[in-house]
Parts: sequence; C-alpha cells; structure tokens
Amino acid sequence: MTKNLAISAKGLGKRYRLGSSLSGHDSLRDLIQAGARSLFRQPAKDPKPRAEFWALDDVSFDIERGENVGIIGLNGAGKSTLLKILSRIVTPTEGTARIEGRLGALLEVGTGFHHELTGRENVYLYGAILGMSRQEVDRKFDAIVEFSEIADFIDTPVKRYSSGMYVRLAFSVAAHLEPDILLLDEVLAVGDFTFQRKCMDFAHALERKGATILFVSHNMFSIKSMCQRVIYLKKGKVVYDGPTDEGLKVYESDCRLAAAPWFYPDAGGKRVSITDIALRDSSGQDRSVFDFGEQMTIQVQINALDEIEDPNVIISITREDEVHCGSFSSSMEGLKIDRMSGVGTIELTTPPLKLVSDKYTISVVVRERGFEKMLSAQIGTSFHVKHDFLSETAFGVFYEPASWRIAEMETRSKQA
Amino acid sequence: MTNPTNLQTLNRLTASIENLRDGPHAARPVVTEIRPTKGLFDLELEGLWPYRELLGVLVKRDIQILYRQAALGIAWAILQPAFSVLIFAIIFGHFAKMPSDGIPYPIFAFAGVLPWTYFAEALRRSSNGLVAEAELIRKVYFPRLLVPVAGIIAPALDFFVGLVILLGLMLVYGVMPTWNLLAVVPLLALAGFQALAIGLWLGPINVRFRDIKYTLPFLIQIWMYASPIVYPLSLIPKEWHWLYSLNPMVGVIEGFRWAIAGGTFNVLPLLISVAVGSVLIVGGLVFFKHMERTFADVI
Repeated sequence: MTKNLAISAKGLGKRYRLGSSLSGHDSLRDLIQAGARSLFRQPAKDPKPRAEFWALDDVSFDIERGENVGIIGLNGAGKSTLLKILSRIVTPTEGTARIEGRLGALLEVGTGFHHELTGRENVYLYGAILGMSRQEVDRKFDAIVEFSEIADFIDTPVKRYSSGMYVRLAFSVAAHLEPDILLLDEVLAVGDFTFQRKCMDFAHALERKGATILFVSHNMFSIKSMCQRVIYLKKGKVVYDGPTDEGLKVYESDCRLAAAPWFYPDAGGKRVSITDIALRDSSGQDRSVFDFGEQMTIQVQINALDEIEDPNVIISITREDEVHCGSFSSSMEGLKIDRMSGVGTIELTTPPLKLVSDKYTISVVVRERGFEKMLSAQIGTSFHVKHDFLSETAFGVFYEPASWRIAEMETRSKQA
Repeated sequence: MTNPTNLQTLNRLTASIENLRDGPHAARPVVTEIRPTKGLFDLELEGLWPYRELLGVLVKRDIQILYRQAALGIAWAILQPAFSVLIFAIIFGHFAKMPSDGIPYPIFAFAGVLPWTYFAEALRRSSNGLVAEAELIRKVYFPRLLVPVAGIIAPALDFFVGLVILLGLMLVYGVMPTWNLLAVVPLLALAGFQALAIGLWLGPINVRFRDIKYTLPFLIQIWMYASPIVYPLSLIPKEWHWLYSLNPMVGVIEGFRWAIAGGTFNVLPLLISVAVGSVLIVGGLVFFKHMERTFADVI
C-alpha cells in the first residue's frame, strides 16, 4: 500500500533574531544615525553577534491522510510557529513541507472581518480570504447563517455586533470551509462554553469525514479525545512522535515540575527542594483528569538538605486563568512534624473536588515554623476536572448544590 | 453530551457538513510546497492566479467602505477634485494668468487634477495597504501582492465619476470631446502602473519603518508641483523636457490633456514614462517578493 500523505515536513526550521526583528534599527532615524556614525568612525565596537534563536529546529514528520495529530509542548516550544509555517503565514528559514489537499487554518477566527461591512458582506469577504470561491459561498450561505444563529442581524454592520455574535459568524464561515486538512489552534477555544463545544463538535464532524487534523492544545483532555498520535515539541525540536498515551506520559513527566517564577528564597532560609509532585486517584493510579466530585491524592516529595523545624507544606490549586482557587496547609490541618531532614514524601487527600470543569495547576510551597520563612516553592503538575456543563464562565470557581424552596408565590403564576 | 443543545448543534453541523461534501474542489487535489526563498527572481507570479477572486473581493470591499457612513457619499469623489480645480482656476488661472496651451484654464487644470488625484490615492493605498492589513497578514496566508494591486484598482471608481463631471464641464466651456478621449483608459492604466511601481517599493519599507506613512503626504504634494498640473509642459524649456519627463507622471498628464482637449501629442514624455515605470516595477516586484517573506514576522 502506498502511503497517502497529507503533510510531509522535512527539516523545517525557523530562525528569529532576538531584540529588534530585522536589522536592529527601529526607525529610519536610527538607521540613518547608525549609517552616519559608521561613516565617520571606524566600526566602533564590533557589533555583538546578534542573538538568534531557532523557534523551530529540524522538524520532520509525515502525516497520513485522515490522521489526527496533536501538537503538544510548553509555551514557546514552537507549536504556533509550526502551524504558521504550514499555513504559509511565515516562511521557514530552512527545510520544506509538502501539503496535499485543501488546508484550512483556524488560528484565529474573524481577523478578515471588516467592521464597516454587514454580516452578509463579511461572509463573502472572509470566505474569499479563507479560499472559498464566490459560488461556494453562495451555495453555503444559508447553512452558514443558520449555523451562526444570527440570521436577524445578517444585514447589520458587524461593528454593531456583540463579540459573541461576531465570533459565531466568523466561526460559521470558517467551519464551512470544509478543508481536507485542518490546522486548529487552541486559542480558538476561547469564548464561551457553547462556542468551545461548537469548535470541538466541528472538529469531530470533520474527523468523521476523513479530514486530517493538526491540533495544538495545552488541554491534554481534548488531545486525548481527538488524537491518536502526538508530536511533542520542546525548544523547537521534536522530542516525541507517536501514540498519544505514551506521548502524554513523556510530556507530563517533563512538565511535572517547573520553577515558580515568583519564588525568591528568604534570607537565611534552609536548603530544601521539592523533588516530585504526583497526582493519584483513590486507587493509587497516576491521573491527570479527575471527575467532578472525585477525591485526589497529591504526593509531594521533599528533599531537606538542612534540618527544618516545624515545616508547613502548603499546596495550592490555581486555575488556568490564574485564579487562585484554594490552598491546603499541613500545619493548619493538623499534620504536626517537629523536624524534617533528608528525603520524605507527604501525602494529601483532597475533599471531593467541587471545582468547575477546567485545567488546574498544583503548586507547593514549604515554609518553616507555620508561615514564617518560605524555603522552597515549585509549580507542579496540572490536572483537569471533567464535567459536562459546569464551565467557569457560568459557574465561577466551584459548584456545591444549594437547597431551594418557594418562600412566596402568587397563586396566579402557579397555575400558569 | 447530556445537554440537548449540544446534541442539536452537533447534528446540525454534521448534517451541514455532509450536505456540502460534494463541493467542486473534492476532486481537485491541491498540492502546496512550502520552502525558503530561492533566487532573486523567484517571483511565484503563477501563484497569484488562484487568488484572482480574492483580489476582486478586496477591491469590492474597498469600494464598499469608501463612502459608507459619509452623508455626502460618492459626492466626495466629485467634491475633492472640484475644489482643487476651483482653487487652481482662481489662483493660477485668474490671478497668475498661467498659460494653458489655449485650453480654458478650468478644463486644463481639471484634466491634470483628475489623473493626479487618482495616482495620489492609488499610491497612498498601495504604500499603506500592507500596514492597514497587518491583522490579516499576521493570521492568514494569501499572496501579499494582492494588497498593493487592490490599492490601485479601487480608486478608479472615483476617477470615472470625476471624468463624467469633466465631460460636463467641457460642454459648458464648449470643448468638444473627440475620439482621443478613448486614450483615457490606457492612460489611467499607466497611472495605476506607476502608482503600483512606487507602491511596491514603499509598501515593504513601510512595513519595516512606519516613517513612510508620514513622508508620503509631503512626497505627494511636492511631486504634484513637479508635474504639469497647474502649469503646462510648454513652460519648461524644450531642451530639458527629457529630464523633466523622468517624472513618470509627466507623460501621463500630458497624454491626458491631449485626450481631453487635443493639441499636439508629445510622444517623448510618454515613452520615458513607460520606460521609467517598467524599470521601477520590475525592481519593485523583486524587492517586494524578497521582503514579503518577512512581513508576518515584522509587521
């Protein structure tokens, strides 16, 4: 059987120069000044070799038709650069890629809209920008409008749209592009919950039609549900390319621990480091997705090079949008340790998680004598809470059922 | 999927995608090669053809938004050149008694202002267009060359509206149009060609240095006085015509006057104009293509 390739990338690389992007001069004036200076002086100091960095470095892969591939990696690993190269927005510095089939890139919806034009005019404009012919838009127009649910406003200038309407219309156009290959960036999945659902449903529907999908996301849950294969990028290089489950394991063990950017050890603090943070379910299995209401066990491995007196381990849960959702403290919750040294593991079992459906990150701080000195801090692993409709836009931070009763009601409305 | 709306949405979406599956492109395998820039003359002009429809849409958009929410609407296409002509007629025609090759001065001035207004607007659009479309360039691929090309097409509408007014004015002054008038169309194309030739240079520089945006109004103003708009070419000593005509708009405007009001046809400025424009546009295409690769990185 011959391989039916949709995308074939060979040695793709993209170099950026740090600082100012092209020549190091921000305005013509600087350029002229620099030019004038070099006329009179010999090249003053050898201009220090400009810092370069490879956002993408020797990236090769083949993707077969119909494959769904997740692109994972930390921020700045080159995921977006890769999508931008494949969608031809930026040119690679090195390497080639061959794409077979119509490519649709949903990196950001609605950028082609013109606010003075009506919804109808914008459908045609954006359709053409995405590569649809006029007849194609004509044919799909009704479907687009119906899907966007804004039929009443289709002849209103989009500048009078709410942001929700704007995004819905833009997405409807994009969704009807019907590409053979879809590049889907997670940034798309902002907006309200229904909209996110639409994005995912759209991708699933395309998938059933045999489209090839390249999906960039930080959301391991979406990756797992959509992709059979992941490509893990780290500092612009491919470090893993293969089945999703294994790839996610590699990725998760890699980003288990990260230095907390806000942490500076207090003066005179003792040497302590947090060496591992693991999340398990009640049966002791490693997990990264928890159901709403499930209990989670957090194990923290601490290596105390100096002896600590009365350590207080604080575990915090932060939502993806930086909302601090809550903390647990070992000393407040009655775990009394007089002294601690060497390597040890502390375990915390949370109450049933009543957090809304989202991605959360665990961070751990070790303090001495209650809340006195901060000795060590570490950003740990992430986990997802899964629930079908408890989204943060509708439900805030947590959900706990309340009790309701009718205090007073007119009989009239009761009958109606 | 407990939520009924989600199910509905999904079903509707699936249905709509299924209905659309038999699109004409289904049979057409599209192959895209992505690679770094090759040679200097790797212009990839053949890649423009599939995007011809987008060019039409961009032009249409520019025209649609031109006078939207302006109470006077398309009347601005008339008012702008009309006021210039009025002022020139009073100052240069009436007070300064500027010679006008025997043509009534208002007609003389209008025949210069009309192609010039078009050229200035086309130049402004083709030079500033890339920056104006920055959002699009950062997020969507399309051949960037479409932007300056669309920039020279859209202002042609104003030109033709102005031309109708000029014809009316000619009747008022008893200047009868001749078959020469047909030359207006190729001359308009030549003016657009010149604007594109310069715009291909200024546009990419503008992406890098926004200074162009501020320099352009001066450039256009100075250039206008360096072109035979308020005065005739015959005012320039004959032995210097070749030098003066290096300004490619000299040939366009002189040709225009001939098309409107007849008189002697000066072929030298026109030939120089075509030659200068051709050199500029070839260089411009190479320059534009070379810079295009980095637009999304720097814009």
